[in-house]
Amino acid sequence: MLIVLLFIAGTFIPSPDVVQTFADHLSPGAGKVFLFFCLSDLYHSSLFYILLTLLSLNLIICSIDRFPALWRQYNAPHFPEPDGIFDNLPQSRIITVDKEIGKIKPIVESCLKKKYGHISEIEEKRGHFFYAQRGRFSLFGVYIIHLSILIMIVGAIIGSIFGLEADINIKEGESVNVANLTKSNGLYKLDFSVRCDKFTVEFYKDGTPKTYRSDLSFIKNGQVRRPGTLLVNHPLTFDKFHFYQSTYGIAPEIKAIVTYTNAGKKSGSMTLAAGDTFFLPQSRARGFVLRVEENIMQTGPAIKLRIVSQKKDVQFWVFQHLDQIVAMNPNLLTKMPMFNPGLFQPLVFSLKRLEQTYYTGLHLVCDPGVPLVALGGLLMVVGLMIVFFIPYQRLWVFMKLKDAKISISIAGRSNRNNQQLQKKIDYLCKRINEEIKA
Amino acid sequence: MNHTLILSWVTFVYFASFVLYLFRLIIGKKVLGRAASFLAWAGLIAQTIALILRWKNSYDLGMGHVPLANLYESMIFFAWTIILIYLIIEWRTKSRIIGVFVVPMAFLAMAYASIAPDISNRIEPLIPALQSNWLTSHVVTCFMGYAAFTIAFGCGLIYLLKNKEKGRVEKPAGFSGKLPDFATLDTLIYQSITLGFVFLTIGIMTGSIWAHYAWGSYWSWDPKETWSLITWLVYAILLHSRYVRGWRGKRMAILAIIGYGCVLFTYLGVNYLPGLHSYLKA
Repeated sequence: MLIVLLFIAGTFIPSPDVVQTFADHLSPGAGKVFLFFCLSDLYHSSLFYILLTLLSLNLIICSIDRFPALWRQYNAPHFPEPDGIFDNLPQSRIITVDKEIGKIKPIVESCLKKKYGHISEIEEKRGHFFYAQRGRFSLFGVYIIHLSILIMIVGAIIGSIFGLEADINIKEGESVNVANLTKSNGLYKLDFSVRCDKFTVEFYKDGTPKTYRSDLSFIKNGQVRRPGTLLVNHPLTFDKFHFYQSTYGIAPEIKAIVTYTNAGKKSGSMTLAAGDTFFLPQSRARGFVLRVEENIMQTGPAIKLRIVSQKKDVQFWVFQHLDQIVAMNPNLLTKMPMFNPGLFQPLVFSLKRLEQTYYTGLHLVCDPGVPLVALGGLLMVVGLMIVFFIPYQRLWVFMKLKDAKISISIAGRSNRNNQQLQKKIDYLCKRINEEIKA
Repeated sequence: MNHTLILSWVTFVYFASFVLYLFRLIIGKKVLGRAASFLAWAGLIAQTIALILRWKNSYDLGMGHVPLANLYESMIFFAWTIILIYLIIEWRTKSRIIGVFVVPMAFLAMAYASIAPDISNRIEPLIPALQSNWLTSHVVTCFMGYAAFTIAFGCGLIYLLKNKEKGRVEKPAGFSGKLPDFATLDTLIYQSITLGFVFLTIGIMTGSIWAHYAWGSYWSWDPKETWSLITWLVYAILLHSRYVRGWRGKRMAILAIIGYGCVLFTYLGVNYLPGLHSYLKA
């Protein structure tokens, strides 16, 4: 009856572990199926959290449940040795010597101590026994692994409750201090603002993107606290947020790089977009950008400006390739004063080039759970190493007097990797043999 | 010398090595086994050289990255890790029999990489998301894990084959007599799975750290991530059933094969689903 009960307990207790892992195993799998049916937020659903909680509870319960047995194994008495451990030992594991036991014992003892540190011994009717062990703590390695999973789950839950994810798109030259929350449609007001000074995208020869780079400035209380270059795989951190390069795009307007000379001397350079206004201090005039054209009448880029001062109000075009146009129509500027970039005397404008304006898409993350998850990961690797690669080895050495000779038998038990233990025993036999001969 | 030429030769060398392992098993001549191992070693060395050449070549083309960046390169590397881990095990256990089941896996990976029409063997530049030092550690650990699971799968197949033959007592010295004994196979399955499990765990973690730096989230439930977790859980169940329930032998072999199915789906099947790991799409 007791055996049956034990058997039921024995099979039942681990089974929730397996079943639970299965249940959890199914949910991501089923999650994939649901993803196709647009149930995309399964991993944040309450069902998923319930499963996680069940898994954690199960881990805790199983760990507590197995603890007494493990504790008994940990504190297992050193003597007597397991039944029959010295039966059928190969000859190489039995050393026979015809010296006094009083001389042999210290030799065996020192060999064992050198390899295993603390050893224990017992004198019985059958003979003298030594016991040595190694890697006993590895029995608890599995607890480190289970603990690491719990820590990671806690970290993930903290992250999903207190964490924040948001996106911002910033046009070159602009600064933004409001972000769109990724998971809901809300807005999040930052207590600093981010300015995109420049966005660069580079391509390989075959057209594959090579680099996305945003030069950013973080501004707090009106001061640039930190300029920084943001690249994919190289996030920036400001305040409590990590910033990631996530996307980019071309803003609808085009920038024109315009320079002007004042009576033949180079005076200024401006970056302008359609609708911009600018001030010309030398002439006390105000300028307006009326149009920015990429290719007007097949002649290339051009912008149309309006300059207003107290005396004058003129409108004219500035062509990038004015020289070529004039070369083809020599009298153009006299016939069509509107095409003369020097209409507002004494200033002469020229259009250097047009540039596209990019916007950079940044992803902001604040996840207070990350350190816990990282700690969990580290612990898990340590735990796995202990469980798989540090076996719990126990060794017994049995010395008995037989026909006026002493026979020394060595045997051992290991919870994993028996081969390694056998090698160790072989080595120990060799050492003892050598020491005795010496 | 051109690395693609070397790689196509390596494919044939692995095939020849497999044939020799097979003959060694059927005919039983030891010299064939030694020749098979020699070919496998030669193939591994040639493949290593080819990979280094390809690496150097990518620098000459101005891209400069480890040859682990697309499906073709990952397949070639997969074959390389399978052969490497297999040869280490062969050297440790002094048994040449699993070669019959493992070497052809490497051959198939190599052949598939070069024959499949939708896999390009060109050296492609690295997109910004892949330009990270984590690329190497992530891919190497994952494929070490996959290769170890491949060995477990091979051993699992042998185990089931032998188990089937066991019923027919009239031929005790036949084919199955030449296979390694059950205990050795069981140990090999278990050891390669523990090795694979540790590598897979580290692989998932390096991937997670990388994702933290690249996308700002250590876990995004992308299909590949989800399936690697499923694979991890299947092997975790396998290990638990061994420790807690004491499952051995046939059940281990079956679980090793199921687990390997998950590995293959994680590696290849997931590419047909949309997700963040889509660089592997050809």
